[in-house]
Amino acid sequence: MPHLEIHNLTVSYEKNQPTLKQFSLNVEQGELVSLLGPSGCGKTTTLRSVAGFIRPDAGQILINGQDYTRLPPNQRDIGLVFQSYALFPHLTVFHNVAFGLRMRRIPKEEVHNRVANALRMVGLEAFADRRPAQLSGGQQQRVALARATVIEPQVLLLDEPLSNLDARLRVDMRQEIRRTQQQLGITTLYVTHDQVEAMSISDRVVVMNQGDIEQIGRPESIFAAPETAFVADFMGFDNHFNAAVASVRDSLLTVNWGDAPIELPWRSKFGSAQAGAMAEIFFRADSASLLAGRDASGLAGQVILHTFHGNEVIYLVETEVGEFSIMQDSDGERFESGATVTVQADTKKWIAIIEESEL
Amino acid sequence: MNRRSNQTRTIILLVAPAFVFVLVFFVLPLIFLLSQSVLPEEGGFTLSGYVDFFQSRVSRIVYLRTLKLGLIVTGISVLMSYPAAFVLARMPVRRRSFLMSLVILPLMTNAVARTFAWLIILGRRGLVNQTLMSLDLVENPLRFIFTETAIVLGLTQLFLPLMVLPLVSAMENIPNDVLEAARSLGANRLTTFVRIVVPLSSDGLVLGATLVFTGSVTAFVTPAILGGSRLLLMSTLLRQKAVILFDQHAAAVVAVVMILTTLAVNLLLRVLRVQQV
Amino acid sequence: MVSRWMYISLVILYGFLLGPFVIIFMASFGANANLAFPPQGFTLDWFANVFETSQFIDSFWISLQLGLSSTIVSLVMGMPVAYALTRFHFAGSGMVETVFSAPILVPGLVIGFAMLNFFVLLGDMQVMTGLFIGHTAILFPYSVRVISASLRNLDPYVEDAAVSLGANRLRGFLLVALPNMQAGLAAAFVLGFITSFNNVPVSLFLSGPGVTTLPVSMLSYLEYYFDPTIAALSTLLVIFTVVLVQTAERVLGLSQFV
Repeated sequence: MPHLEIHNLTVSYEKNQPTLKQFSLNVEQGELVSLLGPSGCGKTTTLRSVAGFIRPDAGQILINGQDYTRLPPNQRDIGLVFQSYALFPHLTVFHNVAFGLRMRRIPKEEVHNRVANALRMVGLEAFADRRPAQLSGGQQQRVALARATVIEPQVLLLDEPLSNLDARLRVDMRQEIRRTQQQLGITTLYVTHDQVEAMSISDRVVVMNQGDIEQIGRPESIFAAPETAFVADFMGFDNHFNAAVASVRDSLLTVNWGDAPIELPWRSKFGSAQAGAMAEIFFRADSASLLAGRDASGLAGQVILHTFHGNEVIYLVETEVGEFSIMQDSDGERFESGATVTVQADTKKWIAIIEESEL
Repeated sequence: MNRRSNQTRTIILLVAPAFVFVLVFFVLPLIFLLSQSVLPEEGGFTLSGYVDFFQSRVSRIVYLRTLKLGLIVTGISVLMSYPAAFVLARMPVRRRSFLMSLVILPLMTNAVARTFAWLIILGRRGLVNQTLMSLDLVENPLRFIFTETAIVLGLTQLFLPLMVLPLVSAMENIPNDVLEAARSLGANRLTTFVRIVVPLSSDGLVLGATLVFTGSVTAFVTPAILGGSRLLLMSTLLRQKAVILFDQHAAAVVAVVMILTTLAVNLLLRVLRVQQV
Repeated sequence: MVSRWMYISLVILYGFLLGPFVIIFMASFGANANLAFPPQGFTLDWFANVFETSQFIDSFWISLQLGLSSTIVSLVMGMPVAYALTRFHFAGSGMVETVFSAPILVPGLVIGFAMLNFFVLLGDMQVMTGLFIGHTAILFPYSVRVISASLRNLDPYVEDAAVSLGANRLRGFLLVALPNMQAGLAAAFVLGFITSFNNVPVSLFLSGPGVTTLPVSMLSYLEYYFDPTIAALSTLLVIFTVVLVQTAERVLGLSQFV
């Protein structure tokens, strides 16, 4: 039995405008699942429904097989970490962390020990008597994490917990959250809009769009093989173009790339690929290379812009099927604007997506 | 160097006119008042006015009554405002600003008009008496006018907005996340209110209490209409000494005691506020 | 976060704050002269009586003149002070601030009494002059505070920009800062006018024979007569302030300055 089950959750703030449509998700004991998507995709709504701050129009939330759907938030036994940290400004670090234990009427001595342990775990034992305003952003984040985990909740929910930190601190904190979560073995939902963050921290990632699930999977498979154009776009496939499918053979299909046919892996959420159907082809800037002049091994184009990025140069190349940005090592051959080049495909890393079946 | 003296001259030019105005027309009369209270017309410096004030049974009763009613009004205002202010602070902005303008409205209407309503409500044939008699709860109308209850009701109605406004603006600054955090950690609504909302709005409470208390102990119109000469407060006592008894010396003493009382309360609550930070 | 019983407290609060106005309103149309409640019948006689009572009409004009003149003078003299306090850091700025907020800390009745003794009894000053001085003094705290608030909201560099384009400091202020302070100034004006117009404690001692403000004349009317005329006048004044305050609130968001 999954530890956290969400069945057909539907939430609408306004009539006929559901922010969440029949959302279902199972999370195993000790698993960390990210909800990834742009703002307004319904990821925070899902989280707040699990926390009990939103009453869903339909659907069910089960934890350990027990129905939580109608339970008020204070009876749910859930740890919540907010984007704003939401520390209690009038209480010291110690009393912030102790708050949930006090609410559970834990004996004083045990409160003391558990808070001390939690603070040691996040490296803040020396700060117990400080007020939140006297802490840095990273320290406040640690207090929020300690406060949410010290109650040993059934489920830990994190709502964009790192978005108020600077880039370097974000990487450190990411590891710290993951380490804490694994040590305690807490079932965790993690909301973020940052794909790198989601991939690095999660056991599984749920990509969401407009209240629907686009794709669920392990970070590696979502990164390498998106199933929809939305996911491909969101996972950083810089280039895309439409092409007619020439032929299909098992998991590979063939389209034309200049004069040469290329064979690509394909994915579709809806049906199968057939010859003659339209496919949308996606590739990242680093999975193509440039040759000087016109060549039969690829698609010809013209350099219209080049920008230097240290180890790499990114070329904007105009071809008959569209404009592509192509990343090349900066110590390789360099091309000037206006130069004619041939774009060669690294087809193992390309993906063809069929959005609609031809039925 | 030159730039600095230039700036000093500009500041003096900007501040001087109003400063001189306040000094001559406000500070000077108060100094004169202070001197009146210690320099009786017979001449010579004396504190006998203050000694008389605190030795006289009447003025002692009036002073203590004033403080007592001030405390009661402040207490009632706190109880009435706290939950209501929380509801207001959590409302959508549009509805809140409409309701807040209704809170301000009484503040913008003169005290005579607002106190007059209590004569209609509490009078011999007023709303309360007519209701009590029609329910056969009493046979003869009760006397409410010229009672402490009437003054407390009138003053509370007068100064309640001064408690609501600072409380609402203090509570507006409490982020929703903080309240939700408390709930997710297991606090029910009441606990969240007591342990989180109240401590985080204590600044507004202290400010509101200062305004309501000092307003109540110095108000004139309400005790004049609802207390009359039968139930004097400090303000009506001052008026009686000055206008009816023509005892400027004693009146000046009452006035100075009023100033010192409000200053002491302001100072006390300011200290309270600083300590909390 | 808000539970149901808290809404009850909201109802009680508003009932208590606004109920008296409903009572006054009803009484002002009632035919019985003894203020029995509920009022019997319907009449506009009490409104007619307001306009036939010369002490109300005369004191209304005095209150109007007083409100306008003291508000304008307190604004004109308060603006440079607010400017100095917000745009310069100087030794003694704390003292200046204290002096200008002092009139709020001293009870109005005491201010009126002290001014009566000093100006009228000692200095033989005209009644109207005394009233004007008293009202201007108590308005300074509001003027300085509201104008300071709107100056703080204004980027000080816009004036520097004007100066860099060739205006002198005064012109920079008048042409660039002042037009951007319109809302704050209007709010200060409405607030100041209403404060003066409604004031009783300061006016009480400073009013003299034939020169009385409207609220004070209402108070002295109550000493002799006990009929719904005051209710009718109060109704008119409430309508007057509702229109004034609602307009100001809609246009300027007055509540942020109170």
